[in-house]
Amino acid sequence: MRNAVIILRVPQMFNLLRRSSRLVRSLPVFLFLLGSAWAADWGAPEQQLAQKIVAITGPTAVSLDVANRSSLSQTDVEAIRTALRTQLNAAGLTFVNPDQAAATVQVSLSENLQNYVWVARIQQGNNQPAITMISMARMEPGTPIREPAVLLIRKIQLWSQDDRILDVAVIDSSPPHVIVLDPNKIAMYALQDGRWQLEQSFQIPHSRPWPRDLRGRLVLRRDRLVDAYLPGVFCSTAAQAPLSLSCRESDDPWPLSSEQVSLNAFFSPTRNFFTGALAPGIGQERTVPPFYSAAPIPREKYVLWVLAGIDGQVREVDGVNVQTLSRPGWGSDMAGVKTTCGSGSQVLVSSNSDGAAPDTVRAYEFPDRDPVPVSQPVELGGSTTSLWTESSGNTAAVVSRNWETGKYEAFRLTIACGQ
Amino acid sequence: MRHFALPLLAASSLVLVGLAQAARRPQYGGTLHTAIQTAPVSLDPAVLVQLDSVTSRNLSSLLFDTLVTMDDLGRIRPALALTWQGEPGSQRWQFRLRRGVAFDDGSLLTPSAVAASLRAANPTWTIYALDDSITIELNSANPSLAAELTLPKNSIVKRLPGKISGTGPFRVSDWQPGKKLVVAANEDYWRGRPFVNSAEIALGTSARDQLMLLELGKADLIEIAPEQARRTAMEGRRVSESAPLGLVALVFTHQQPSSEDQKLLDALALSIDRASIKTVLLQGEGDPAGGILPNWMTGYEFLFPTEFNMQAAQQRRAEVPYAPAWTLSYDPSDSLGRLIAERVALNVKDAGMTLRPISTGSGDLRLVRTALASPNPEVALAAVTASLGLPQPALTANNPEELYQSENALLQSHRIIPLFHLPVNYGLSTAVRNWGERRTGAWDLSDIWLATEKP
Repeated sequence: MRNAVIILRVPQMFNLLRRSSRLVRSLPVFLFLLGSAWAADWGAPEQQLAQKIVAITGPTAVSLDVANRSSLSQTDVEAIRTALRTQLNAAGLTFVNPDQAAATVQVSLSENLQNYVWVARIQQGNNQPAITMISMARMEPGTPIREPAVLLIRKIQLWSQDDRILDVAVIDSSPPHVIVLDPNKIAMYALQDGRWQLEQSFQIPHSRPWPRDLRGRLVLRRDRLVDAYLPGVFCSTAAQAPLSLSCRESDDPWPLSSEQVSLNAFFSPTRNFFTGALAPGIGQERTVPPFYSAAPIPREKYVLWVLAGIDGQVREVDGVNVQTLSRPGWGSDMAGVKTTCGSGSQVLVSSNSDGAAPDTVRAYEFPDRDPVPVSQPVELGGSTTSLWTESSGNTAAVVSRNWETGKYEAFRLTIACGQ
Repeated sequence: MRHFALPLLAASSLVLVGLAQAARRPQYGGTLHTAIQTAPVSLDPAVLVQLDSVTSRNLSSLLFDTLVTMDDLGRIRPALALTWQGEPGSQRWQFRLRRGVAFDDGSLLTPSAVAASLRAANPTWTIYALDDSITIELNSANPSLAAELTLPKNSIVKRLPGKISGTGPFRVSDWQPGKKLVVAANEDYWRGRPFVNSAEIALGTSARDQLMLLELGKADLIEIAPEQARRTAMEGRRVSESAPLGLVALVFTHQQPSSEDQKLLDALALSIDRASIKTVLLQGEGDPAGGILPNWMTGYEFLFPTEFNMQAAQQRRAEVPYAPAWTLSYDPSDSLGRLIAERVALNVKDAGMTLRPISTGSGDLRLVRTALASPNPEVALAAVTASLGLPQPALTANNPEELYQSENALLQSHRIIPLFHLPVNYGLSTAVRNWGERRTGAWDLSDIWLATEKP
């Protein structure tokens, strides 16, 4: 495969990993504020519709009725009704009861697949009613964040886009950076003036078509910025400035967790799972049944690995024994995190709702061999497509496809100790 | 306007998208068994377009790709074309093609192959093949060209004597015209190999036989008639429902309705008790339709009345001294169509008119059932008017007001009386996962996977 080498415009990027800042602690706040800043601004369409109505009626006395036939909230509808009256009034219309009106104006706030459609039906005397309308793009609804009890899983939205997100990585730097891996590229964004600005984008060349249910993983490195693992392809930033990205065909095993717990596994280049071949292995075990995901549970003298097999079984592998758990109704994705709560190590597990309800992620501990839930499930608003431990080992990045918007949304999941 | 349309759509899309991505990761392998009522004798999209738009799309999407596709929100997405651009005026469009895509005969997709395929489907277009792109020149502005290119008739097909090739997710492994189609996964499909190894489609299978196949575990995916959907679901079977995009309508077959005809047609429209037909004949499925296009597509359908008003119908009828006895033709193979035609005839009789349902020949009116071809309203309106022999709307911009005026003019011409918008329903086995039905009601078998273990 041809290597793709792209020169990054920001040679200082190597320092990003080493630099920390207070700003990074405010990253969640930035992200939250950014999300909530998508407030409705109906000024332009209100004015546009008012002008169209007045162009038909002229300055006269009308009765006005505004009905909602859309997904707009009652609050928005009230605001629109008030503002529309103001706009019409400023344009010369006065409002009277229907029996005194020269024209009755019925405004319907409707919508179609992509747009709000506001329709005015204007009846003047016994004439045929006049119809006028405007349209504007529909807003995307925000995703509510719920917080469970006991150990709390906090969910912070990191990124959202139409294309499938395979993984995200947050660089604790000043300004904060987010790296987004999708099927075509690795894109790096910097938070500047409260907005995420694309700083650089690296195309990912690949000679074979990607498999369906494409998976990929970003791993931040100490000696370089980031490695990206995709089926049959490995990409890495160069070790020296200027920063560049090289990709090659590769069967190199993928890291299964953070650097603190080192285990790698070979990923099928044409499928969506790990083949079961391990490097270096779990104790004596060099191969295990094929699996989708794995999470480590550090013990005093060994690491217990929990694997979500492609046969639907959940297995515990300690290097000597392989034990199959009774099926706890888990999904295919899990990620281990180290925390200061509970036992200090939890496994975040996606639900297996099979589309009956939005997916959730829940934290479990393994006091012995049986999993014990230690948090309430946190809802993702859609279907999980990716769940990886972040490079720090303390948090996880989950990607979900929002059922309402169809967009892919990446969240950071952190565990907070319960009260 | 019916307020329930949007909540229903929202709920429907919630379920559909939800089913499309379950928490369990997809498994590769297995054979998907399905059955359909229609029995095509050719797999060429140029022939498949003669079927209803849903079946046409379902079958052609197995073997062929289009330059662009449409997502569930009606947005155009890249497919064989990576990028596209219309010049001001929307008469000239350029599409840059994806590289490295191969037909199933092994030859590479080239601009000249794409141009040849599109020329065959659209003789009035002028198409130039360039280095890595094609340019389409039209006789008149078409701001919806990209949406039009998502239609099955615009599938990219390489036609050789006695053989057709596509770039789609499956390849034909057994084809018995009118009886059976078996397709195998295209290992090198540019979008990724389908999850299932193969799909077997039994053609020309009656609705009753399809249900039996599902019950016996011999089919994973079957068609369900709208009026059977609720009952089937209540019996515990898994039923999927699209947005209401099937149109049931009466078409006046005389080209120029006289002023008296128009009054009688007004009376006829006012006398039809759609609510009752929905409850009794459709078993609660579907939406009474005042417009040709449903409200979820346009946002304005509520402006077109659907109410039953016998008194107004009788008054309108009385404005015409003599009302001829009209005939209403319906497709004899369509049992629901026959029932609706008979019920309409009864309603009309109460208004003082005579309408006689006939199953053969051409009536003064024709009961039509058709699936709207696209969630894009401009494309859907153009396609449905073409298929029903109605005047073509002249749309120069993607603008709801212009679309409304065109549709309103069609309705005012008295050539068509919309009755209902119906969903497309499927029955699914418990093994089917990642069911990716869109609002169009078309399936995407390449994204389905089969759960091998019992739930």
